[in-house]
Amino acid sequence: MTRLVIEDVSVDFGGIHALKDVTFSLESGSIVGLIGPNGAGKSTLLNCISGITRPTRGRVQLDGTVLSAMSSAAVARHGIGRVFQHPELVGDLSVHDNLLIACHRSLDYGLVSELLRLPTVRQQERAAADKVASVLSRLGIADSAGTSVRSLPYGHRKLLDLGRALLMDIRFLLLDEPIAGLNDSEIARLGEILLGLRQEFGLGILVVEHNMPFVSRLCDRLVVLDLGQLIANGPPAAVLSDARVMSSYLGEVADA
Amino acid sequence: MSAAADIIRVPKAPTSAGWGAALVALGLLLACAAPLGLNGYGLYLLTLTEIFALVALGLNLLTGYAGQISLCHASFFGVGAYATAILTQKAGLPYLLSLVAGALFTTAIGALVALPALRLKNIYLAIATLGFGVVLQKIIFEWRSLTGGGGGLALTAPHIAGYELGATGLYYLTLAFLTVGLFGAWNVSRGRTGRALLVIKESEIAAGSLGINAARYKVTAFAFSAFYAAIAGGLFAYLVRYINPESFSVGLSISFLSMMVIGGLGTIGGSILGAVFYVIVPELLRGIKDAPGLVFGLLLVTVMVFMPQGLWGMVRRLARRSAR
Amino acid sequence: MIANLIVGGLAAGCLYAMVGIAIVIVLNITDIANFAQGEMAMVTTFFAYWLMDGVGLAWWQAVSIAIVFGLVQGIVIQQVVIRPLIGGPVLSAIIATLGLNVVLNSLAGLIWGHQTYTFPSPFAFSPPFLIGGVHVSVDSVVNIAVGLVIIICMTLFLRFTWTGLSLRAASQNQTVARLMGVSITKSSAIAWGLGGLVGGIAGILVAPSLFLDTNLMSALLIKAFAGGVLGGLNSLIGVFFGCLALGVAENLTGAYLSPSFADAITFIIIIAVLTLRPEGIFGRVKVRKA
Repeated sequence: MTRLVIEDVSVDFGGIHALKDVTFSLESGSIVGLIGPNGAGKSTLLNCISGITRPTRGRVQLDGTVLSAMSSAAVARHGIGRVFQHPELVGDLSVHDNLLIACHRSLDYGLVSELLRLPTVRQQERAAADKVASVLSRLGIADSAGTSVRSLPYGHRKLLDLGRALLMDIRFLLLDEPIAGLNDSEIARLGEILLGLRQEFGLGILVVEHNMPFVSRLCDRLVVLDLGQLIANGPPAAVLSDARVMSSYLGEVADA
Repeated sequence: MSAAADIIRVPKAPTSAGWGAALVALGLLLACAAPLGLNGYGLYLLTLTEIFALVALGLNLLTGYAGQISLCHASFFGVGAYATAILTQKAGLPYLLSLVAGALFTTAIGALVALPALRLKNIYLAIATLGFGVVLQKIIFEWRSLTGGGGGLALTAPHIAGYELGATGLYYLTLAFLTVGLFGAWNVSRGRTGRALLVIKESEIAAGSLGINAARYKVTAFAFSAFYAAIAGGLFAYLVRYINPESFSVGLSISFLSMMVIGGLGTIGGSILGAVFYVIVPELLRGIKDAPGLVFGLLLVTVMVFMPQGLWGMVRRLARRSAR
Repeated sequence: MIANLIVGGLAAGCLYAMVGIAIVIVLNITDIANFAQGEMAMVTTFFAYWLMDGVGLAWWQAVSIAIVFGLVQGIVIQQVVIRPLIGGPVLSAIIATLGLNVVLNSLAGLIWGHQTYTFPSPFAFSPPFLIGGVHVSVDSVVNIAVGLVIIICMTLFLRFTWTGLSLRAASQNQTVARLMGVSITKSSAIAWGLGGLVGGIAGILVAPSLFLDTNLMSALLIKAFAGGVLGGLNSLIGVFFGCLALGVAENLTGAYLSPSFADAITFIIIIAVLTLRPEGIFGRVKVRKA
């Protein structure tokens, strides 16, 4: 079992305290939901874990290896996958080729081999193409393989972003509002896919979401942020009935 | 920007990449036979076209794929030209060796230039590369003892294995380099490097999340394009037999950019078409003094506004329409 | 001696600053670096020359009309070339302005040829000022004064008028500005018009010293960008002081090191600044929330 530990992470942007002493951990094989009102610092926390933002104080550790000092590319190489709120895909390429990019780390031929297109290159490219095909069918979008990403419906773009993360041999997956913009059947399918990933690969998953029913059905635990601070960490039922959590979303709790 | 016109294909179905490659292969075949039909001036023009195509192929990877604008490639072209010339004339090295050594030297400079440019984008990158270009040009100009300064260098015919390389010989040498260069550029464009560059152009954050080290690949792209430009420069020096610093100015860098854009940025076919265009148009307009500049400038603006895919993009669209 | 060099450098720097101000206005409001700014100014200046030489107008009349021409030129270019590119990749706009640069240069060459003309200045025969023992030509003083006036006017305009406010809104966040009723294309047109106007003024003030030909502004354009980078491309004051500093640095380098290095110093400064502090001395880092 591997463990991703967020330890006393604080982030200050000039005078703004985006995160303040946030501490929790994520084990492989568990699904944790990260919730909180807008501006609570959820995306900032994900950025800290991914290596896009460096914490002002505190650390992010993966089984003892300190990730927070690394570049985002290095963090990704350590097995942290990220699905963004607004997926940035290469518009000119097809779905298949966008996913092929994600196989980057698994291909290990050098520039000279690449220039000459040696047999090893052809072999590895074919293997990568096969991996892409299998991810496409797992996600249920295999028939869009050849379409240009530009003409893809929104729901499929998000699935594509997920596909990219899956091709990277990850141990932990961070998802930033994955179901925003999806219809009900797409939401259900995504839920199944995530559960399947936990089942099959023992992935640790951290989901930022606003949809409470989705999050309470899917997650083993919920972590709540409000104004940069962690105010609750526990099973969904307990957290969602916590008075502090309710007041952070609704303001003053009206007398019942 | 149609960056991946060469890569869009469904696995197991060789579609658009197929006929494009066939066209280029046909072009190469014709090119082999060219000296039989062309006179001296025609052969000169064709050699020049191939030289510029080589520059465009390399620069295409940097600007078309990685999205990095560079206004200093004329200087890499120039450094390659001077390095080859100096090694051959003054150090007495065999021409081919000078060509490659000069190119490797220029590649190192290209990688160095890339380093401070890593954090810069768009306008700032354009200005920084412009600055590097001018400084390199100045160095060539000032180092009179080595380069002949403003007076330039006059060159005698090169030799390979004892045989003097005349116009036809240089033509075939250029064609050989172009073919190899074409093959290399094509392979890189469809390999992991080409794909990594495309992601870097789209979003460095996305690249990072995929484990791609953007800095390393940007330096690679600069170095690669500098190598191509330098080989082209070394061939150019011995095509025209006289080089001076004035020829390798910012204006030429802008011309390289125009060439690629008009042909079709991000495509290999576009690099070649652009070079053809760049050599032919001034020929057709030779009488009128400012006409080539005007035509190029207008084309650049028109292409950017109306057909961002360039001439090659138009060709592909026509082909696709007629295929239906 | 050194005072002379400094004053000379300031005067030269002022010329760069004029072009720089035009560039910064357009860059800050529309996010496009207009590489054709110099050539636009050159065309406006040639137009003024034609009004004086061919049509026979007096300096003040010709210059007034030419300045309006500069404004119109900016708007026309924005409508025809830039508007279709709004929202597209920045690379396209940069390349388009490079193309425009070549077009205007060639056009000017076709119309007016490649000779050098003398452009009159109403201050040509005024005696120079004597400030602290240094002779300062009236032209230089006028340049600096006009430069400052333009900056003050632009700053007041952007800060205290509704149009100015909407221009600043458009440059910060196009979507929100649109929601507030600001027309992005109109703001863009105004910005380019102002750029053309200020550029025209720059050309007219520069021409007497540097003589009028098609290459009048090309060297200045680069110096203007260099000075802008030094001082901060997103600040009018920044570009002004950056260009002045550049002019002085060039003059001093030219005198104490070597004239050929004076040229290179421009670029060494650019590269150093871009490497160490890309936003320039007075600039602020523009943070864009993805």
